[in-house]
Amino acid sequence: MEVNAAPLKTLGKIAHGQSVEIMEISSDCGRAGRLAALGFLPGRRVRISRIAPLGDPISIEMDGQEISLRRSEADLIGVKEIA
Amino acid sequence: MTAAVDTKKRPARIALLGNPNTGKSTIFNRLTGLRQHIANYPGITVEMKTGAMLVGDQQVEVLDLPGAYSLAAASPDERVVMDALDGRMGKRPPDLIVCVLDATNLKRNLLLVSQAAELEIPMLVVLNQWDAVKRNGLRIDADLLADRLGVPVVTTVAKRGGGLEELKKAISHSLDEPRRIPRILWPEFIDEARDIVRNGLEETGNDVTGPEALRMIFDTDSAFADKIGHREKLKPLLKSARDRIRSHGMNPASAEPVLHYRHIEAVLDGVIEGDGMVARTRDSVDALLLNRFWGSLIFFAVMYVVFQSLYAWAGPVMDLIEAGTGWVQDLVSPLLEGTPVLQSLVSDGIIAGVGGVIVFLPQILLLFFFIAILEDTGYLARAAFLMDKLFGWCGLNGKSFVPLLSGYACAIPGVMAARTLEDPKARLTTILMTPFMSCSARLPIYVLLIGAFVEPVYGPLVAGWTLFLMHFVGAVVAMPMAWFMNRCILKIKAQPFILEMPDYRVPTLRNVTIRMWERGRAFLIQAGTVILSISIIVWALLYFPRPDEVAAKTREAFIAEKSSAMPADALAAELANPESDLSHKLDHRIGGAYIEQSYLGQFGKAVQPVFDPAGFDWKITVGVLSSFPAREVIIATMGIIYNLGADVDEGSDDLRSIIAQEKWHEGPRKGQPVYTLPVVIGLMVFFALCMQCGATVAVIAKELSWKWAVASFATMTVIAWVAAVLIYQIGSRL
Ligand SMILES: Nc1nc2c(ncn2[C@@H]2O[C@H](COP(=O)(O)OP(=O)(O)OP(=O)(O)O)[C@@H](O)[C@H]2O)c(=O)[nH]1
Repeated sequence: MEVNAAPLKTLGKIAHGQSVEIMEISSDCGRAGRLAALGFLPGRRVRISRIAPLGDPISIEMDGQEISLRRSEADLIGVKEIA
Repeated sequence: MTAAVDTKKRPARIALLGNPNTGKSTIFNRLTGLRQHIANYPGITVEMKTGAMLVGDQQVEVLDLPGAYSLAAASPDERVVMDALDGRMGKRPPDLIVCVLDATNLKRNLLLVSQAAELEIPMLVVLNQWDAVKRNGLRIDADLLADRLGVPVVTTVAKRGGGLEELKKAISHSLDEPRRIPRILWPEFIDEARDIVRNGLEETGNDVTGPEALRMIFDTDSAFADKIGHREKLKPLLKSARDRIRSHGMNPASAEPVLHYRHIEAVLDGVIEGDGMVARTRDSVDALLLNRFWGSLIFFAVMYVVFQSLYAWAGPVMDLIEAGTGWVQDLVSPLLEGTPVLQSLVSDGIIAGVGGVIVFLPQILLLFFFIAILEDTGYLARAAFLMDKLFGWCGLNGKSFVPLLSGYACAIPGVMAARTLEDPKARLTTILMTPFMSCSARLPIYVLLIGAFVEPVYGPLVAGWTLFLMHFVGAVVAMPMAWFMNRCILKIKAQPFILEMPDYRVPTLRNVTIRMWERGRAFLIQAGTVILSISIIVWALLYFPRPDEVAAKTREAFIAEKSSAMPADALAAELANPESDLSHKLDHRIGGAYIEQSYLGQFGKAVQPVFDPAGFDWKITVGVLSSFPAREVIIATMGIIYNLGADVDEGSDDLRSIIAQEKWHEGPRKGQPVYTLPVVIGLMVFFALCMQCGATVAVIAKELSWKWAVASFATMTVIAWVAAVLIYQIGSRL
């Protein structure tokens, strides 16, 4: 898949409140498949809506739903920040 | 393809399929009433319920499948959904799949439906939580959706019973006139990939269905591969199938969802109106409940109430049950006066055993009352979100908090509460950790020993701290063990910790009572019978062989000892009166003598050498051994062993002073006190770490399997022994 010139960030490293577009999902890993099944797919837009008081997990808003993931797993998702 | 199901010949079967938290169980309960039971399948720890509903005058069997986001399966627990639909579980496939969807989240909910359509089983789609659709500012065209899918679509508000009659009619109709959702049209290379695997396996004589082959290709850690076997053969096949997908520019890990979602978006085009905005109330409530300061404060307040209810509020009811048990014993005992064996069996074995089962009910019911409320309101997910970081490192997750906390009151409800964890691996780990938490039955032995040995020497402050610290011994040992087990022993692949933040909802009384009833019943029927059997076996070990001469000899020795202090006729008169002080003393002495010669007592003496490195004499050893079925009996057993009778409690000064004066009668330590500080600490730590609770073993066996129950029992025993030995050996050299 063609990837943008700007280096991708991973979802686990995105700041609170930031919206992002998903660019890619890490390949060949069962856990990534699970995230894809939840709808974390290239092209979708999501927002970091909350961060747990202890810093992990993070809560992600997608399609009006909120799903929380651990940062380590959110890092399987490559994203691009959008305004 | 079969035409209409002939319901006259065999009862039709329907299965409820859906994502977690969509309302499947609620619909299941509405359809079946209370005509349901828990289906047990070997090797599977998730719960599947089956029930019966009436369609017209026909019985229809209803199967409630565990909630799942996808048919992907990395463990047998997850595979059960696919196995059940595929007819791989000793039963034919269901005649109808009733897909229960959360109407406010159609896109994601349809993935599972789209995957299941691959199986070509007739389907019916239920849009549940229809009430929330309007509230969330959405409009859904259910008729259009039905057109697009090609199967009937019913809308329901299961929580309040709305639409249930229509659903029943639709089920009846669908059984007569089955309709299928057409399979998704895969790109050619997916079909090719599937054929690579199917044809490759055909040579081995192993026939996998097309849908199963797809699962193995799409899911990297597929549990289907385990079932098929032929690993060496399968591996290159799967690799070349995946390479085929990759060569078409798709990532095999996400190819399936990408293609399904493409299809789903086409299906949903024009079906949903509205922007699906996040419910405003949820956002503002979350801002409070997930706030660093207020959120934590509220969390601890809520958990305090839950814990306090188990620890304190359940107490009076439990006392009442114990009193009731005593009352029944007193009532029945005299009837069997003529046959002492039967009298003891009925009173101390059966009645005490039944009482010992029922006594757990108040805590179980209370805990599931709170869990039902916490889950239904949506708070449990928030609590898990707050706590996850604390538990994640050792393979548990945020949802482990409630089971572990409950474990501090009693491991039984705690182990049962681990059902709230969806992830099989985290659930298993949580269950195995729960018995390490310092339950309230461990308190008496701590109080006795600290009161007898720590407080008199080091004062109340140190005593208080010792008691406090004893409560963390188990957790401190358990957490690294959990980490180790997750790293090195458990073969199950870790799954992402996915936590949906549901909308806040008002719990319904109906659901809460059903949850309590379900768990209470399951405990009584499944674990209760095992606990009762254990209690009868232990009774027998403590009662037999009971030769008569033990009583006679003890009596003689007692009279000989006392006659030096008082005239023979006065002694005889005292002993003739069963209520006199001396008679009680004699009875206690006989009780002690019988326990010494019982099978368990003999066994205790025989295995004393095993506990010798921990500094335990045979009396402590018998006490420890007889506490394996239920640790709370230790005080009463010690009372009997030290000839004080079973009625002592942990505050008893007699018991404290007797054990403080207890000396070794023989062996190398002859004349030295038995209870030195290292022995006392070692003994307390032994109790902290050992699973001395038959009921816990029984419940773990029911929740997981006997294999796990025995393994965790053995492991905890060994750990407890090692710890006690280390403490004694190091402590007595300092
Ligand atoms: N607003 C609304 N809530 C509902 C409705 N039906 C069920 N619920 C709630 O949704 C939650 C989940 O319901 P369950 O029946 O436990 O869901 P489930 O699909 O069996 O969940 P799992 O057991 O996790 O698979 C409960 O809090 C219900 O009260 C409905 O029609 N409307």
